[in-house]
Order: sequence, then C-alpha cells, then structure tokens
Amino acid sequence: MNVEKYQHITDGDLLQHFYQDQNNQWLGLLLQRYTLLLLGVCMKYLKNEEEAKDSVQQIFLKAITELQKYKVDYFKSWIYMVAKNHCLMKLRDKQGKFTADFTESMAGVITEEEGEMKLQHLEKDRRLELMNLSLEELNEEQKRCLTLFYLEKRSYQEIADSTGFSILKVKSAIQNGKRNLRILLGKKLNQ
Amino acid sequence: MSYDILKILSASNKDIDNQKLMDYLAGHLSSKETHEVEKWMADSEFANDAVEGLQQVQNKKNIETLVEQLNKDLHKKLEQKNIRKEKRKLKDLPWIYYTIILILLLMVITWFLIQRMNVKP
Repeated sequence: MNVEKYQHITDGDLLQHFYQDQNNQWLGLLLQRYTLLLLGVCMKYLKNEEEAKDSVQQIFLKAITELQKYKVDYFKSWIYMVAKNHCLMKLRDKQGKFTADFTESMAGVITEEEGEMKLQHLEKDRRLELMNLSLEELNEEQKRCLTLFYLEKRSYQEIADSTGFSILKVKSAIQNGKRNLRILLGKKLNQ
Repeated sequence: MSYDILKILSASNKDIDNQKLMDYLAGHLSSKETHEVEKWMADSEFANDAVEGLQQVQNKKNIETLVEQLNKDLHKKLEQKNIRKEKRKLKDLPWIYYTIILILLLMVITWFLIQRMNVKP
C-alpha cells in the first residue's frame, strides 16, 4: 500500500477499514505511524537500542493480536499504554521492582479533561480572569517558565539560557506548573 | 495579558511528523519550529517520553535504520498473517463446493423420482 496516499486518513478511520475488511495492511499503515515514537518510549525506559528494537516488535505483535480481538477507540493513547506497560513489565522482570501505575495516570488524564471541559463552557473573559488568577498563585519558577514557554514561545534551551535553570528543571517546571494550574483552576471552578 | 494564556491548558491537536522530529533531534530546526515540537511534547506524555528516549541514542543515524528495519519487519509479518488467513479461507472452501454438489445431486435425484412416479404403468 502507498503510505502517502493514506496520510490524510485518521487513525480512527484506518482502524474502521481494518474492522470492516480485516485486511492486516491497514494495521501496518497505522502502526508504522508510531514506530519512531514507540522506539523512543522503549529507549527511554530500557536504555538499550537492541532491547528497544525487540520490544517495539513485541508491542507490534501484541497490538495486532489485541486489535483483532477488541475494538479500540483512542488508538494513540492505547498504543502508548501498551508500550509503557510492556517496558515497565520488562523492567520489573529485570529488576524485581518497579510497579506499573498507569491506570492511575490514565485516571488523572480523565479528571484533567473534565476540568478543561468545564473551563471551555465559561465565557472567554471569565476564563482569562481565572487563568490569570491561578497563574499568579504559582511559584515564581513555574510561573516564569510557563510564561516564557507559552506566551513568549521560547524553546526549552532559550528558557534555560535566560533563567539559568537546567533543561530538565525547565521541563519539570512547565509540567508541574501546568498540573498545579489545573488544580487551582479546578478549585476556582468548583467554588 | 493576552488570550494566549488560555493556550497553556489547551492541548494542541497538531501532530509532528517523523522528519520534523528527526530534524529537532539533530538540532536543525528554527526557533519557531523548535518551540512547535516542544509544545507538542509539553502537551503529550507519549511525545515527551519518545523524544527523551530518542535523545539517548548516540548515533542519530541508527534511529532511521532501526525504524526502517522495524517497518519492514512489520509489513512482512502482516503479509504472512494475511497469507495464512487466505489459506485458511481456501481450506474452508471445499466444504462449500461439497455442499453445492450434494444439493445439485439431490435435486437431480428428486427430479428423476418425480418423473418415474409420473410415468403411468
């Protein structure tokens, strides 16, 4: 199959085609969209190129088998969950520790989405006011990194250069800042 | 402060293609494009994990070779599975042929019987 010809088709549509005619080539088109990302995820957890490559192959096989059995609605989140669980299991087998707590983080995503839905229903000016108030309540580090990243559209490296923080610190300040912002907003929305 | 502040919590739906990601890893993107990739990372745990993992690969050319091998292998496996499925289908087919032949045979026999019964002694 010509990959470029199917580039405009969404993941959901490719899956629908597969569910309709059971032709594995649809799965091939879908899975190869994620080869690079899956390799990256496996590298992050396993830190070994050969092991990461083997794991991506195993994840592909698992995905092919599971997709033939069950209907998957959100492929991207699903394949990420399969990959992360696979790596965590592998690490656990290797080290005898490390417990997968992905269910917990998925639950977190759902709660976050609910909060955002509530926020979307508000008037734009009210939303802006609540966001400003919440942003002001963040600690200086997180506020500064979020402002530089989202409002001034600076890259991680540029923010690290101008603040003197390491890139790792910038990334975690942005992530934690976003999480805290959601919590603060959630509180304000529920008041 | 502008309405841009609302973008902090609105996840971007824009996906980054593999080429742009490879260029990001190689440090070949403009400041604007770098920010675009990093915004995608900040909005998606999947993307962030993937980029952090790919950054650990020392020789970036290895990434392309690995992806190529994995895709080739994937398509080979899927083709084999399709062939197996087709074979299974063909194996099931003789039963259909046997059934059709049996029905036709029964029809012919019935026709003959009716003919015989209709013949006056």
